[in-house]
Amino acid sequence: MTVGGGAGGAPSAFDPKKIRMYGLVGSVVGIYLGAILNMALNTNVFSFVGAVAAIFAVVMGANSVRRICAYGIGTGVPSIGMLALGMGIIAVMFGLSVAETLGFGLLGPIITLVYAGVFGYIIGVLANKVIKFNIPVMEEGNADLSMAGAMAILGWSFAVSGNLGYFDIVKNVLMTGYIAIIFIAGGLAILHPFNANLGPDEKQDRTLVNAIMVSGIAMIATGIAAILTQGLAAGLLQLVIGFALWFYFFKMYYKLVKRDAAAVVGTGLLPPTVQ
Amino acid sequence: MNFDINTIVYILEILVGGLLVGIGVHFVPVGGAPAAMAQATGIGTGTVQLAAGSGLTGLLAAGLMMSVTDNLWLILASGAVGAGIMIGSTMLTGSWIYAYAVGAPFASAKVNYDPITGFSQPPYVAPGTVGQGIPTICFVSGLIGGMMGGLGGAMIYYPLYLINGNAALSAMFAIGIFLVNAVLASWNIQGTIEGFHDPKFKKWPFAFRACAIASILLALAAVLITGGA
Amino acid sequence: MDAFSMGLIAAMGALATVAGASEDIESDVGSQSNPNSQVQLAAQVGNPHRIYNKAISGEPPANALWAATAAMVAYTLITAFQMPALFALVAGASVAALFNGVFAISAYFGRNSSQRRFNQWVYLDIVRYTTPSIMAHAWITSFCIATISYIMVYMLPIHHPFPMPIIALIWGLAVGAIGSSVGDIHYGGEREFQNRQFGCGLNTMLSGQIVRKAEAGLRNSIDNAWFCTKFGGPATGMGFGLTVFLDNWRTTVFDPVTQASLAIAMGIFFIIVEVFYNLYIEKSARRKYGPYPEYKGDIAA
Repeated sequence: MTVGGGAGGAPSAFDPKKIRMYGLVGSVVGIYLGAILNMALNTNVFSFVGAVAAIFAVVMGANSVRRICAYGIGTGVPSIGMLALGMGIIAVMFGLSVAETLGFGLLGPIITLVYAGVFGYIIGVLANKVIKFNIPVMEEGNADLSMAGAMAILGWSFAVSGNLGYFDIVKNVLMTGYIAIIFIAGGLAILHPFNANLGPDEKQDRTLVNAIMVSGIAMIATGIAAILTQGLAAGLLQLVIGFALWFYFFKMYYKLVKRDAAAVVGTGLLPPTVQ
Repeated sequence: MNFDINTIVYILEILVGGLLVGIGVHFVPVGGAPAAMAQATGIGTGTVQLAAGSGLTGLLAAGLMMSVTDNLWLILASGAVGAGIMIGSTMLTGSWIYAYAVGAPFASAKVNYDPITGFSQPPYVAPGTVGQGIPTICFVSGLIGGMMGGLGGAMIYYPLYLINGNAALSAMFAIGIFLVNAVLASWNIQGTIEGFHDPKFKKWPFAFRACAIASILLALAAVLITGGA
Repeated sequence: MDAFSMGLIAAMGALATVAGASEDIESDVGSQSNPNSQVQLAAQVGNPHRIYNKAISGEPPANALWAATAAMVAYTLITAFQMPALFALVAGASVAALFNGVFAISAYFGRNSSQRRFNQWVYLDIVRYTTPSIMAHAWITSFCIATISYIMVYMLPIHHPFPMPIIALIWGLAVGAIGSSVGDIHYGGEREFQNRQFGCGLNTMLSGQIVRKAEAGLRNSIDNAWFCTKFGGPATGMGFGLTVFLDNWRTTVFDPVTQASLAIAMGIFFIIVEVFYNLYIEKSARRKYGPYPEYKGDIAA
């Protein structure tokens, strides 16, 4: 998109390094926490922890979309979200499958993360060196994006299957086709926040709150999916938590909109200065 | 899994598929946002979107064909034709809008004469624009691009399905590989291109290199994945 | 080939036509995708407006989300609760429409408040009366596409091997790509700029000078949908309908197991016909409209 968009290096209140750390640690710890709780207590009600963990990754991804796209990449924001998820899905299947083959099912998220990080970095290098973008944050941003996409898909896949085992994920998430909704809802959760707030007066906190809000929507979707794979209780719990998250952050988003907008009016003609 | 000669063939097939997608994107005449205002020649949408729309329609056709036969050529042809029908219908109905709603003759500002029909272009370019509509050269180029995308999608899907025997997994994986290559190629184009007659088309070796490296990495990961259940 | 599957193909074609039309009108009511860049630009060049600004990621991913959501919910209800397919599809489309509403509202809020320095206001009445219209069109789109996926997976003689939500995702991407390539031109090339000469593309000088006033009062997005319904929507419908119908027709008439090459040859025949039809349109447009009078060079060939 050529119009709108801040100048190079969008101003931000939160440091990207901090967001990356919270995003990675939050999502990995969350996914493991959910998996271990589910396994130890032999239940699946803790699947929602994985879905919440994915939100950390989404916030990280949304922030890195914001950083890359502030330079203007000439093809619009959506392409980069699709790239994130394209890289993510391959990393997830690779990580889980290799971990299963090696016999350490629980290593899956780590292998996924490493593959996603390395692959994203290489894509960034390709973009800068071969395609000659010369955007300084490209390598770093693409590594972030790839990891965020992978962790979001992994977190929500876990939320749907209730188990990190590769075969369970294939059976519950892929064979049912739920991967489609995880894929596209995750993609939109990463790319929509910056796209929806594009403009010269874009604010980081508003964009990130939008990311959490959209993740809440995605969690509602995975909750519906989990009703089939894990039964009514686990699914509904996820759905309700997703709805609560969405509701809370939608209110917060609306508050930020009222703070940032030139005016929020019930109705009216065009603004007086230009009429 | 055991590593044998077949694995190398699979990797090569995925690589070729990824390259077909990456190069095919360069053929699709996309004008981006300006084309939607009849300000530039081509289809009024983004590169990735159109390539994904047509290539994945081809993937649907290829997937259907693969469920009843394992003849590689039939599957590839199905993918290409499915994608070709999608992109052909899109450009045709787009032409209706340019001709009957915007009321503009089709013209390209990048060439003086349409290489296929020989029509002169500059008199028909509206002032203040860089052409509009979908002249025959762009239509043919778009068909080639769309069909290459479909062919690439099928080419990626075929070895994946042979490796893991799981249609859903292979389909999602093919979508992933497809999107990575399409996005890299569209970054190379930087938004808009008119087809193979456009000077920008000469940039394709960059995308070729980038897509080759990316596809190899993806293929190495892909052949290690087992089918699961 | 039997009469029943031929009927199903016809139904799929019809559903796809409706889906394409409603998809395009949805994107016009909300002002999405490429023409929206001009709506976005309008405020920046000093023309604040009262047009919706639904920037949801470009049409293909957005429509893929609605379609996949509808298919996912329908699949869950059919499999987990053995609900009748039609009811499940309706429920799925409703969930998709709700999602659509949330995304649309957040995009309108976000884009407009990011234009604070251009004095672009956020009008709540626009949100209240335009969003339901957007959601309604998204409902139709996602219902039709989820139904097409259902037919492909469960009802056609050769069941498609992909799961229903993945098929819906792919058709959603396709319908979005067609909607943004076909119908949006009617909105962006004609409706947004009715204040300039007819018969040419938008002059770059006029970028951002969109029409902001209607016959009476200020133009809003519902007026735009009224206009685009007349041609842009149906043409998009034809585009998507042709895609779905022709693609499935050839594999149903010709059995893919025994007559695969005939099915492929039929597809190539369709493509060639399309090339010549486009050539005919190009020729007739050049003949009827003629060159632009501003052109100063020689007119040859």
